[in-house]
Amino acid sequence: MNLSLPLQQLRAITRRHFFGQTGLGLGSLALNALLAKDGHANNESYRLPSKVKSVIYLHMAGSPSQLDLFENKPALAKLHDTECPQEYLEGKRFAFIKGTPKMLGPQFSYSQHGESGQWVSELLPNLCRQIDDLCIIRSISTEQFNHSPAQLLMQTGNPLLGNPAMGSWVTYGLGSENENLPGFVVLSSGGKTPSAGKSLWGSGFLPTVYQGVQCRTDGGDPILYLSDPKGISRSARRKTLDALNDLNRYQHQHIGDPETMTRIAQYELAYRMQTSVPEVMDISRESQSTMELYGAKPGFISKAESAADPRTLYKGDDPTFANNCLLARRLVENGVRFVQLYDWGWDHHGSSPGESIDETLPIKCRQIDQAIAALLADLKQRGMLDETLVVWGGEFGRTPMMQNNVNKKLVKGFIGRDHHPHAFTMWMAGGGIKPGMHGQTDDIGYYPVEDPVSVRDLQATILHQIGLDPYQFSFPYQGLNQRLIGPTQKGRVIKDILS
Amino acid sequence: MLHSFKRQRYCLLPDFSQFPAKVIALAVSCLALAAGDFTTALVAQEIVGQQNHEGRTPSYNRDVRPILSENCFSCHGLDSEAREANLRLDERSSAIQSGAMVPGKPNESELVARITSEDADAVMPPPETGHQLSASQISTLKSWIASGAAYEKHWSFLAPEKSPLPSHSKVEGVANPIDSFILARVEQADLTPAPLADRATILRRLALDLTGLPPTPELAKSFLDEEKPISYETLVNRLLDSDRYGEHWARMWLDLARYADTKGYEKDRHRNIWRYRDWVIDAFNRDLPFDQFTIEQLGGDLLPNRTDDQILATAFHRNTMTNDEGGTDNEEFRIAAVKDRVDTTLQVWMGLTMGCAKCHSHKYDPITIQDYYSFFAYFNQTRDADNEAPFHPTPTATQAAKLKELTSQLDQATRLANQRPDGFSEEFEQWKNTLKQRPLWQPLNLKDFKSENGVVLNQDKEHRLIASGDRPEKDTWQITFDLPVVSKDDRYTSFRIDHFPKSVAGGDWEDKNVAIRELTLELETPDGESKKLTLKNPRASFSQHRWNVAFALDGKTDAGWALSPHFGKRQTAVFDFEAPISGGTLKVTLEQKYGEGLLLARSRFSISRNPVSWLRAEVEPDQEDTFVKAVFPETIKRLKAKQTAQDQLQNFKKQIPSTPVMFDLDSKQHRTTRIHNRGNFLDQGAEVKASVLTGFAEFPSSAPSNRLGVAHWLMQPDNPLTARVAVNRIWARLFGTGLVETEEDFGTQGMPPSHPALLDWLAVDFREQGWSFKQLLRTIVMSRTYRQSSVVTEESLRLDPRNRLLSRGPRFRLSAEMVRDQALAVSGLLVHKIGGPSVMPPQPPGIWKSTYSGEKWKNAAGDDRYRRGLYTYLKRTSPYPSMTTFDAGSGEVCQIRRIRTNTPLQALITLNDVVYLEAAGRLAQRMEAAGSDLNSRIAAGFRMVLVRDADESEVARLNRLYHSLEEELSEGTELLESAQITNVDPRLVAIANVLLNLDETLMKP
Repeated sequence: MNLSLPLQQLRAITRRHFFGQTGLGLGSLALNALLAKDGHANNESYRLPSKVKSVIYLHMAGSPSQLDLFENKPALAKLHDTECPQEYLEGKRFAFIKGTPKMLGPQFSYSQHGESGQWVSELLPNLCRQIDDLCIIRSISTEQFNHSPAQLLMQTGNPLLGNPAMGSWVTYGLGSENENLPGFVVLSSGGKTPSAGKSLWGSGFLPTVYQGVQCRTDGGDPILYLSDPKGISRSARRKTLDALNDLNRYQHQHIGDPETMTRIAQYELAYRMQTSVPEVMDISRESQSTMELYGAKPGFISKAESAADPRTLYKGDDPTFANNCLLARRLVENGVRFVQLYDWGWDHHGSSPGESIDETLPIKCRQIDQAIAALLADLKQRGMLDETLVVWGGEFGRTPMMQNNVNKKLVKGFIGRDHHPHAFTMWMAGGGIKPGMHGQTDDIGYYPVEDPVSVRDLQATILHQIGLDPYQFSFPYQGLNQRLIGPTQKGRVIKDILS
Repeated sequence: MLHSFKRQRYCLLPDFSQFPAKVIALAVSCLALAAGDFTTALVAQEIVGQQNHEGRTPSYNRDVRPILSENCFSCHGLDSEAREANLRLDERSSAIQSGAMVPGKPNESELVARITSEDADAVMPPPETGHQLSASQISTLKSWIASGAAYEKHWSFLAPEKSPLPSHSKVEGVANPIDSFILARVEQADLTPAPLADRATILRRLALDLTGLPPTPELAKSFLDEEKPISYETLVNRLLDSDRYGEHWARMWLDLARYADTKGYEKDRHRNIWRYRDWVIDAFNRDLPFDQFTIEQLGGDLLPNRTDDQILATAFHRNTMTNDEGGTDNEEFRIAAVKDRVDTTLQVWMGLTMGCAKCHSHKYDPITIQDYYSFFAYFNQTRDADNEAPFHPTPTATQAAKLKELTSQLDQATRLANQRPDGFSEEFEQWKNTLKQRPLWQPLNLKDFKSENGVVLNQDKEHRLIASGDRPEKDTWQITFDLPVVSKDDRYTSFRIDHFPKSVAGGDWEDKNVAIRELTLELETPDGESKKLTLKNPRASFSQHRWNVAFALDGKTDAGWALSPHFGKRQTAVFDFEAPISGGTLKVTLEQKYGEGLLLARSRFSISRNPVSWLRAEVEPDQEDTFVKAVFPETIKRLKAKQTAQDQLQNFKKQIPSTPVMFDLDSKQHRTTRIHNRGNFLDQGAEVKASVLTGFAEFPSSAPSNRLGVAHWLMQPDNPLTARVAVNRIWARLFGTGLVETEEDFGTQGMPPSHPALLDWLAVDFREQGWSFKQLLRTIVMSRTYRQSSVVTEESLRLDPRNRLLSRGPRFRLSAEMVRDQALAVSGLLVHKIGGPSVMPPQPPGIWKSTYSGEKWKNAAGDDRYRRGLYTYLKRTSPYPSMTTFDAGSGEVCQIRRIRTNTPLQALITLNDVVYLEAAGRLAQRMEAAGSDLNSRIAAGFRMVLVRDADESEVARLNRLYHSLEEELSEGTELLESAQITNVDPRLVAIANVLLNLDETLMKP
């Protein structure tokens, strides 16, 4: 029987997950899916016309208080310091609230901003200048009320550990635009990794090649093991790699396993990354004015990053998050598909002044406000905002009640709110998103009353914007076609916010 | 056509009637592989070697169920909650009754009308589900209905049987039935089986497969010896007998057990459960049969006469995570752990996926939500509740031996201590006589008494001093006694105070606490000299908390000797003189100014001339006891020996690790299990009774209704899944892919086996051979199939690209642990030590940044830097980076198989990680020692790393590299520093680094 497919071509495609191509010299050799231009959803049934090329997701780990940032609730202010009505407590589980707590009004003053007249609190003065770029969704709810499971649900679609992160899904589906950089990069600040740890950027049941690559900004290798060992110069590395490649090719002639050629390609890629990653990670290459715009300080290594309890070091002038925002722009500019920022330190229960609404929230806002506003302005000015989706939010919201197991009275430095899964605020900006507002909550911000949005909806929308059909895009595992949005059809794209 | 194909992930036989089968299969597999869709790829491969099914009656299992399952069952299946229009298609009778199917008459069947409808409102599946049937699927369903719509039970739910061996043409080296099954398929596919691999290759492959390590130089020498090599069978047996075998295969099981060294979730603190890991290693090494292996892990605590080791085995299910995050609901995470145990049990032993059945009845497999929670009920009775307890002391084998030794030493010492040695009675009588001359204690006669507050002391017949008069709040007393003068060698050694309650000594004062804040003694000798006496060794029958008798001598009046709450009983305090005294007038001053009238209401003061070791703070000194413990040398010696033995045992017990294990609640405390509606434990429905899944195997009538019974049920000979799942797993580790590729799913959504009859033969044989893993491995590795060369020919790549037909030997990348272990082994760095707490080999700083956990990674020094990968500390939320980069898991959930990747991050590790640099340094040193010139050193390096001899051209290429590095590495001091080595040619280190990075090195050959 005659076969029309030549052997070379067959070899090229026998690898399960990666493209291979042999015999054309190193420069044109195979690239794997970590970096490939095309992902695996290059198929009409999964692909949608994409609105954006990249996602920058700013996750405030711990969950900021929507009631002190975006939810102006005069009615709640009126109820301030009165007992919470029983209807809000019966049948509810809280992380820490016991018995009947008191209501806690917004702690900061609100005013309206931009043409859209959005209410934003005084803690985010810089963001207000970009307010007409944002679509603020005030009616999100989640199913989880502890950090670790809620973060996992938000980022992996499942509250238990072991599922692929959104960034993994996206790179699995689309690959990266830059063959010399990972497609899914994670940057963290605030001194700690988020509660659910590295599981938040794990690849779950997808091949590990899709796991997020944490780029470190705390002084070590930007990517683990990236630097050649001391004593191996670039030329020595080149020579050893040439010998390695020759030996591998020689072996390939004898054994004929296409995997060998893939390996040669991966070693070459590693070699190129050794140059390209430090370059893109070097924010000092930016102009002075850009750095000032963000409040970035290249080379700054925050003490909080190695402190046992970084909360004691929060001062408001830590530029790590700002550095990461600037880096996010550089990464996206260089074709990275999904940049995930985590900023730790937003869990303001009021147990101490280091984790309170009244003292810590303003500090944390100072750390992010200018940087996020700069990121949006910078992307816009470079014409990149249209092709980048920026998402901001925590894993849940915070209660309209004060947390009463800490103290029963309002004491400075001890004002806090418990976890609130029923309604909270997130925003999106950039490509394909219509600025404005979506959804509303009741008078005290307890439940959504208009256009409720679920975590699934949010995930469906993000996938949709990047050009992946959230319903069709799946991976077979455990007998199910697993999807980011879960097994049910409940997740839906929030059409109203799309431009 | 290809497009529609892509949609059918689980479709087995799409319509390829227009093209020759192989072309289609290849074209499809190429497309599928390129797109990462290996499911479809395999399916396409299945076609190779099978007859074109054109004109053949569709089979329900092979052809029809996949279509119904993918497109229909989620709304018309087992799950009554989700069922639409009250129609179910998974049961023949219901499907017929409803009119959806009229057997033999597709055109009268509503199902056919619906799937072919052009009306968007009527067509099935509904367009909004995203599902759509292809023309070929529709035609399959039609012809199946036309043929009578026969249903079949899913293949894996029927018990396996050994079928007759298929015939094939003669091939040299056929060893056992495995080869017949494989060769028959290879032949059908017009493939030529690969020749046997050469000796060096099969040696390295076998050693890596059985022990996870390359062969030792000694073993390699025996097997590659040109004169008198050991046989392949001997090689197999030696490797199976090696302790390294257990370490390697334990790693496979630890993935399933979701073993880790931390608890998971936010705080992710340390968990002490490494003894379980060691139990698994040991179980593999002693080839514990799989049935016993199962019984001990699932129900070891419930076995009669259970041993510590059997209890330890139950830690298998204590590897579930516990959430220490503040504000979590313990019951929520207890239940999450129990569900994990249920899911893991069914997945590990039966290859069933339970992900969906917690929320609603399984849509594809015959498992209802009732079935799920009935099974859950067995696991719902353990004591743990989102915490680490209960623990059990779990000594290692060495510790157990030592424990036994120490216990028997103690027993012997105790026996001796309880015996009266020869001559005891005589000596005791004699001693008692001497006491008559010189009693242990001699009460003192009151001579004078002064109280600051007018207290009166009267001495009674028994020399007791009874206080009377008004009881003041506070007082200081000065009591004077006459001390008869004694000879120099008979001097007074000790002084004693007794306290009596009113019930014993009478008097007016009520019983109250006593507080002697300071005691001072002064002696006026007969020659009129007066001196303060220093007291030592204060001891008392009882001292109040924070009012120790010693404080009465400390020169301070803040605290002293007090008796609460035991002042209602007799108490005594004894003090020795710093220097023995000869007699005179003894003046005793008692500062008792605490207040509240805490004064010595009834007392006696005594003195002794006996050795101080005889004088203990006993209210009524027991003469025999004193003699035994303080006087008679032999009994003293024996008591001391007993005490030493006791201390040794106690101290040793403190070193024995405690491990979290499974224990059930007492039957009175048993939890009631209810269905969790939609999987929500806060929304509980009907109560269920514990029972196993129906339709698989009978619950053995003799088994108890608990976890132990579940274990017995899993191992029943008629359980259709357990043996198949187990052999498939072993097969997959050796060949890279299971006979059922979806090792995790043997249900209807899983993939069908590539060689069903072989799978069944292996399953039955495994059981017949007494569930021995070693025997199963022996059978497989003795096969010709396993021993084939893995050289990829043009033909095999074309017709069998993924080697699913096994037309050649397996070749795939080593696991994360093996990559590490091999580098350490070939460089001579590997430290062979089995078991023990997990270790922390070097990892770059700043990796651990867990929320709220103060635990730190501390790079190990010495041996622990070079242990096998399975001993590396695994923190779930921050696993060892080089392991996960090579596809190891994080122990969060049961990991049935690891998907292998090939990435640049892996290259960076083996090129740059200090672990591999150190290995390169040491390897270079060994190479240098093994040859006298460069080429022989390079050749030696090849043999050390790859077991085989190098080709001339390979040596030449590295020789060329060596010379080309003259400029960069002629000194190379920095590189040597990086590799932590001295006295070796740095250019050889660079060459060793290349050898450790060869594709061949990283792959199983």
